[in-house]
Amino acid sequence: MTMTMMTESVCYPSTKDVCMFIAEYSFWLFSSGSTVIRLEKNVRRIAEAFGMKVDFSILPHHIHITVRDSGSLNSYTTVSEIKSGGISFNINTMLSRLSWDISDRKIGFDEAKERLGCIVRSTGSLDPWLLIALVSFANASFCRLFGGDIVAMGVVFISTAAGYLMKQILMERKVDFRLVVIICSFISSILASADGLFSLGCTPELALGTSVLYLVPGIPFINSFCDMLDKHYICAFVRMTDAVVVTACLSLGLLCSMMIMHKGMF
Amino acid sequence: MFVEFIQDALFAAIAAIGFSAISTPPRQAYLYCALIAAAGHSLRFLVMQNRYFSLHIVIATTLAALLIGVLAVILSSKSRVPPETFLYPSLLPMIPGIYAYKTFGGLVMCMYQSTEGAFNHFFYLFASNGLTCFFILLGMAVGATLPMFMMKKISFQATREK
Repeated sequence: MTMTMMTESVCYPSTKDVCMFIAEYSFWLFSSGSTVIRLEKNVRRIAEAFGMKVDFSILPHHIHITVRDSGSLNSYTTVSEIKSGGISFNINTMLSRLSWDISDRKIGFDEAKERLGCIVRSTGSLDPWLLIALVSFANASFCRLFGGDIVAMGVVFISTAAGYLMKQILMERKVDFRLVVIICSFISSILASADGLFSLGCTPELALGTSVLYLVPGIPFINSFCDMLDKHYICAFVRMTDAVVVTACLSLGLLCSMMIMHKGMF
Repeated sequence: MFVEFIQDALFAAIAAIGFSAISTPPRQAYLYCALIAAAGHSLRFLVMQNRYFSLHIVIATTLAALLIGVLAVILSSKSRVPPETFLYPSLLPMIPGIYAYKTFGGLVMCMYQSTEGAFNHFFYLFASNGLTCFFILLGMAVGATLPMFMMKKISFQATREK
């Protein structure tokens, strides 16, 4: 009897340790753009691997987590803050792999903690200039998909590059993201209106319309609908509201530049 | 028609690579994102602009999202990444961005109108763009996540080491 207890005490960490680990794990997984269903599955998998159960609720700015042992004798509750904006599918992938490695008993608790630390420190992001080039090419391609001519594509490329560069500069200086979107949308659309102003191409309205599309919060929009389909209505509503606010900021920047350039949206 | 079809696939692939770079996917995901986005977007192009029939953008987007969802789930287990890693960046070229900001544009323009007729016109633009945007997003989410839920075992065990 004593032996078993000793073995158990060696194998399983305390409810507090597991809860704190799951809180950090949830914070990073949710902040990296995971859906609630994935978070739920991964977190339960980890808790079960340590012989525990977990319940959690997601609030607009926090995740509330309770971990209890299988006999419900001990429980521990903590509240973890949610960071918004830093979507990273690289972190999402590595955290999902970590949950399976814990579940399949390939790694112990201490190693799992170490690996979590390594994962969150690894950025995996591209060189900022390469990122600007890729986003600009993507937005120019977007312009083509909507029927824009080669001149419009060139104008969109330049206006996106300028806007995205400004976004990186402002984000580095920790400027509020909504203000960043307004400013970048304004800069990109002002530059894109050059197509019509100097009569460069045949589709100036498409250049103007697509120049700001790199700012559309596509992933939060899709995530919110996925959460809604999975009946996580509060989380879906929060994500949807965030995405709508960003879209409103984008429209505000675009409308300001259109008013200055005497252009109509419709 | 064939050249336009290929062009659509090519530009959708470039758009998917560029926009996926913002959300920092694993390096091996870029190629898959490009292929899946090209397949999805060109399907949408095909069902919307062919000589025999033309589906509404909401239905066409839902069908394209369904194809993207199936491909993302199948390829996710092959490359040991969650299907969302391929799914979301591949869907980005179909996000109704123009409808989204035109919704707000219509709303703002409503406030500037002094006559009922002009107000109704801009309110109509606000509602029509907003509803189209909403239903495209809903169709995309339903189409893309349906394969994930139908193939739950593959979807949620993709990252498990065999």
